[in-house]
Amino acid sequence: MQIWSWHGFFTYLGSPYIFRGALITVYMTAVSMVMGFLLGLLIAVMKRSQRRLLSWPARFYVWFFRGTPLLVQLVVIYAGLPKLDIRLSVMACSIIGLTLNEAAYLAEIIRAGLNAVPTGQIAAARALGLSERQIAWRIAFPQAFRLIIPPLGNSVNGLLKTTSVTSVISMEELMQRSQILVQDQFMVLELFSVAALYYLLMTTAWDFLQRRIEHYAERPYRRQQQSVAVDPIELPVTTQDAR
Amino acid sequence: MITLDNVTKSYGTFQVLKGCSAEIGRGEVVVVCGPSGSGKSTLIKCINALETFEGGQIWVDGMAVRSAQTDHSALRAKAGMVFQSFELFSHLSILDNIMLAPRLVQKRAKDEIREHAKTLLRRVGLERHADKYPIALSGGQQQRAAIARALAMKPDVMLFDEPTSALDPEMVQEVLQVMTELAREGMTMMCVTHEMGFARQVATRILFVDAGEIVDDCPAADFFAGRCSMRAQAFLRFEADHPG
Ligand SMILES: Nc1ncnc2c1ncn2[C@@H]1O[C@H](COP(=O)(O)OP(=O)(O)OP(=O)(O)O)[C@@H](O)[C@H]1O
Ligand SMILES: [Mg+2]
Repeated sequence: MQIWSWHGFFTYLGSPYIFRGALITVYMTAVSMVMGFLLGLLIAVMKRSQRRLLSWPARFYVWFFRGTPLLVQLVVIYAGLPKLDIRLSVMACSIIGLTLNEAAYLAEIIRAGLNAVPTGQIAAARALGLSERQIAWRIAFPQAFRLIIPPLGNSVNGLLKTTSVTSVISMEELMQRSQILVQDQFMVLELFSVAALYYLLMTTAWDFLQRRIEHYAERPYRRQQQSVAVDPIELPVTTQDAR
Repeated sequence: MITLDNVTKSYGTFQVLKGCSAEIGRGEVVVVCGPSGSGKSTLIKCINALETFEGGQIWVDGMAVRSAQTDHSALRAKAGMVFQSFELFSHLSILDNIMLAPRLVQKRAKDEIREHAKTLLRRVGLERHADKYPIALSGGQQQRAAIARALAMKPDVMLFDEPTSALDPEMVQEVLQVMTELAREGMTMMCVTHEMGFARQVATRILFVDAGEIVDDCPAADFFAGRCSMRAQAFLRFEADHPG
C-alpha cells in the first residue's frame, strides 16, 4: 500500500458524496446557530431578570447544558425521544442537540454583551418614556450585538467543527461521510486531508463574512469615515455653529 | 407644574432625601445647587421616576409620581431630561436619536416628527449634523443634540442634571446659550448646575440642597443680593472663587 496517493486525494476532493457532506455541515451550523442564538437571547434575558422564577430556570439550563458533553446530549435525544413516542429524523435530532447545547454558551456571550450596554443610555431611553420592551429591542439588543460579534464569530467557527460530533448518532455530515469511505477504502490520510481542507474552506468563508458584518456594525462608531461625508467648504463654520 | 411634598428616600440605612418640599410654577426656572453628594441628582430623578422614593409625593402637572395608577411613560413624556454625560444612543444618527421616542412613545406621524426634529436641530445649531453619529460630534454638540432629543417630546418641563459639567470650558457657553434661549421662551425648567452666571441670568428661584434637605428656597434676586442663608452664601462665594 502506498504512503500517499494523489490520485485518491483528488478523487475524494472532487467527490460529490463528500461535497454534499460539507453542505450538510454548513446547513446544520447555520440552522443551529440561528436557533441557538434566539434561544440563547431568551435565556440571557431570563438570567438577567430580577425575578427568580425566570432567572433560576435559566441558570439551571446553562449549568446543565454546559456541564454535560454534547455527545451525551445527542445520544439521549436520539435514543430517548422515540421512547416518548416522538419520532424524528437523525437530522432533526442533530439540530435539536446542537441548538440546545449552543444556546447555553451563546446565552453567556449575549449576557456579557447586554451587561456592557451603557446604563446611562438605558436611563435616557427610560426618561424618554420608552417601555422596557422598546428599550430592549431598540437600544440594548442592537448595541449588545455589535459588542459580541467577535465571540459570536468564534462560536460559529467552533460550531462548524463541533457538528462532527453528530456522527455518533450516524448523522451523515462531512466527518461521518469521510469515515464511511475510510472503512471502505482505507485511505485515511487522503480522506481526512480532504475533510480538513473542506473545514478550512468553510471557516475561511466565515472569517470573510464575519469581517463584513463587523464592518457594517462598526459604522456608527467610526469617526474618520463620517468626516469624509462633511462638505470641506463648510468645515470652518462647524466650530462656531453655536450661533 | 411640579410639587414636591415631603419627599424621602433611602439607600439602605442611608437617607439621601430627608423630606424635600418645593413648588415650581409654570414658566419658572429653578436652579438647584449644593455640595457634591447632597442628593441633587437623586431629587431630580425622582421627578420623572428614574428613581423611586419611599415617602411623600411628587406631582407633575397633576400626575402623582408615586402611584401604581400612574403611567410612567406619560409622566416621562411630560418631563424631558438632560444628563451630565449626554447619553445619546450611540448606534443611531442624531436625527434618529431625536425621532425615536416621538415615534415609539407618542406614535406621532412620521412626517411631522421629521419636520419637528429638523426645526429643533436648526434651533440648537446642528442642522448640518443630522445624519452623523454621536461619536462624530463634540461634547457641546452632543449635549445640544440631547436637548433637542428631549424637546422632541414636546415636554411641559425640562430637567437638567449638571448639563455642562462634563464639557470642556470652551463648550460650556454654547450649551448654556441654548438653555438660556429655552428659558426665555417660557419653558419650565429645573436645573442642577454650578453655573452661577446662568443662574443669575435666567433663574427665578434657587434651591440650595445640603445633606438631603432643601435648606434654602429663595427668589434668585434675593439669593444673589445676599439675602439668603449663610450656608448658601458661603457656597456661592466658594463657587465664585472656583468657577466650574
Ligand atoms: N445607587 C446608590 N446606592 C447607594 N447610595 C447612593 C446611590 N446613588 C447615590 N447614592 C448616594 O446618595 C447621595 C446623593 O447622591 P446624588 O448623586 O444625588 O448626589 P448629588 O448631589 O447629585 O452629587 P453630585 O454633585 O456629585 O452629582 C450620595 O451620598 C451618594 O453616595
Ligand atoms: Mg449629581
